[in-house]
Amino acid sequence: MARNKSEKAKADPNGAARPKPEFERRGISASPGIVIGTAFVRDAERISVPRTPVEPARVEVEVGRFGQALADTARELRALKADIARKMGDDHARIFDAHLLILEDRMLIDETAAVIRSECLNAAAAFDKVIGKFIASIAGIEDQYLKERTVDVQDVRKRVIRVLLGTDARASSRPTEPSIVVAHDLSPSDTAQFDRRTVLAYVTDLGGRTSHTAILARSQGIPAVLGLESLVERVETGDTVIVDGNTGAVVVNPTPATLDQYRLEMARFHELEEQLLTLTGYPAQTLDGRAFMLCANLDAADEVGSVLDHGGQGVGLFRTEYFFISQEYLPGEEEQYRVYRQVVEGMAGKPVVIRTLDIGGDKIASYLNRSPELNPFMGWRGIRFCLTRKDIFKTQLRAIYRASAHGNVKIMFPMISQIEEILKAKEICAEVREELKRDRYRYDEDVELGMMIETPSAVALADQFAREVAFFSIGTNDLIQYTMAVDRGNSKIAHLYQHLHPSILRLLRLTVEAARRRKVHLSICGEMAGDPLSVPILIGLGVDEFSVSPNVIPEVKRMIRSVTFDECRALLRRVSRFRTTAEIEGEIEAFVKSHVPTVLEPGRMGK
Amino acid sequence: MIEFTKNVGNKIGLHLRAAGEFVKIAAQFSSDIRVYHGEKFANGKSILGLASLAAAKGARVRVEIEGPDEAAAQKALEALFDAKFYED
Repeated sequence: MARNKSEKAKADPNGAARPKPEFERRGISASPGIVIGTAFVRDAERISVPRTPVEPARVEVEVGRFGQALADTARELRALKADIARKMGDDHARIFDAHLLILEDRMLIDETAAVIRSECLNAAAAFDKVIGKFIASIAGIEDQYLKERTVDVQDVRKRVIRVLLGTDARASSRPTEPSIVVAHDLSPSDTAQFDRRTVLAYVTDLGGRTSHTAILARSQGIPAVLGLESLVERVETGDTVIVDGNTGAVVVNPTPATLDQYRLEMARFHELEEQLLTLTGYPAQTLDGRAFMLCANLDAADEVGSVLDHGGQGVGLFRTEYFFISQEYLPGEEEQYRVYRQVVEGMAGKPVVIRTLDIGGDKIASYLNRSPELNPFMGWRGIRFCLTRKDIFKTQLRAIYRASAHGNVKIMFPMISQIEEILKAKEICAEVREELKRDRYRYDEDVELGMMIETPSAVALADQFAREVAFFSIGTNDLIQYTMAVDRGNSKIAHLYQHLHPSILRLLRLTVEAARRRKVHLSICGEMAGDPLSVPILIGLGVDEFSVSPNVIPEVKRMIRSVTFDECRALLRRVSRFRTTAEIEGEIEAFVKSHVPTVLEPGRMGK
Repeated sequence: MIEFTKNVGNKIGLHLRAAGEFVKIAAQFSSDIRVYHGEKFANGKSILGLASLAAAKGARVRVEIEGPDEAAAQKALEALFDAKFYED
């Protein structure tokens, strides 16, 4: 996409105002879509507080001004709180209670007034000095949980100072025209303040596919590229920016040639999207009538709407860990119950597979205060964590079982590698059911229990596991990583991570056979399920269900509807003889080209 | 004057939100309320003061209450500690 770099170098032969040079950065594509727009750079951190002496005679006026600023800030915060409660629910709004209490803090108010009077200092500088002391003493605390809370105090500090300095906080912190929001990082309270109609895309230095901004962007259908590291320093408000949420590319100050290229790309993307959305009402069925369940992977309750809009037949994987990670403390039973119930009710009777906490690996919640592990992916994660922290596990299971009274719930356990683990997990589920019965809660007696197949040992023992559970879901990302012994994040060996490696196909086949013999429902929920080259193979294997990101559902459906089951089985037989990934991919690519019409470029979605 | 001593029982200690719950109750009483943790103490009606105490999970804090409604204030605040600040 960025091969125009040499062109703009020879611009302006007449010495006219030199256009800013184009540059491109690659980040993590967190939400799909392409957009061209004007940057709005949100620089929340910088705020300078002028120190100006106040005449002794005017000191009381300054104290009065300070009181007024606190009242104005409180009004602003209450409006924001009400707005967020309406848009996102009371839970999200509760963070503002602490902010409001800070504004009423007598020590803060009295000490600030005392500094204004004794030092004849302007209110903004006096307030900054006093609240700065509190921030310093909280920041000095060793305990990580307590320390992190300085962000809230900082937030109040900035708001009050902006009011005192007469700079409109809203004008400076959110766009008024449709813009591409560029920021170092965005907190939930930041994004909650944006009017959705004025945000064309999110672009941030921090964050990844599972950060709050990514989840929000996907649920709102706004493109997002995150993890750009140090883009914010290099972009100015008003710069033209292209955001390609499909590839993770961000182009700043594009040349006319680059713009044309992306306009074309946008047109193609919109056309494809529209074509795909027309499929929503049709079943995921091959030309010869073999039907598949096509479900969605979910990270947050707000994404339910997107699942239904894209024609999802259920939730094949609700990853509960992101709710845990986004909280400041361990969520209790009631809080969890509300979230699970929201998803279950939103899906209105369609199946919802709730996966129990898969904390560990790269997913860490700070409040669980775990000491770092040398090899976290092979460490204390998933079911291993839950079986040792039975308190956390049981609280979650209680919340899930209670939510089962409101729809069609299934429970799935992650990271199973030993039979004992599944036996123990089932035993704890039975305990929880007994306790709920005793406590007189309603729940569904027939909640199915299932497990992830994501360790090679689970595949090797799939026939044994099949006796213990109602369903399997193959987590291809971890299964491939553990089988090939490859860390995808390591660029030296990332190429060894291959969906279609012959060894992976064999493991899949073993799992399918074990599942079929015991009539265990089999789903694929890893990235492979949304990879265009892999879909025909998965069809040929005869899995029962695909579970993919909501926005990928239509594309997978189109693949399924373009082929016959028999052709896919024949394709699978052909590629099973190959010894290398290259041969396998070559064979499938030819198949896809001849069966799936136009637009789709193999490899585009899955990578 | 009356006083009581309690352990901070919620998992993440007396952070801003927990301090807020304390202040909300303390503010309902006219008595003076002081919270001691180690060498430090704070006004029980100041959320920032309480948050600066660095009372992590398991910390032992002493609460002194003095005023006309001290008995009622003690009862309400003890209940808050027992309920682990409504968090777990």
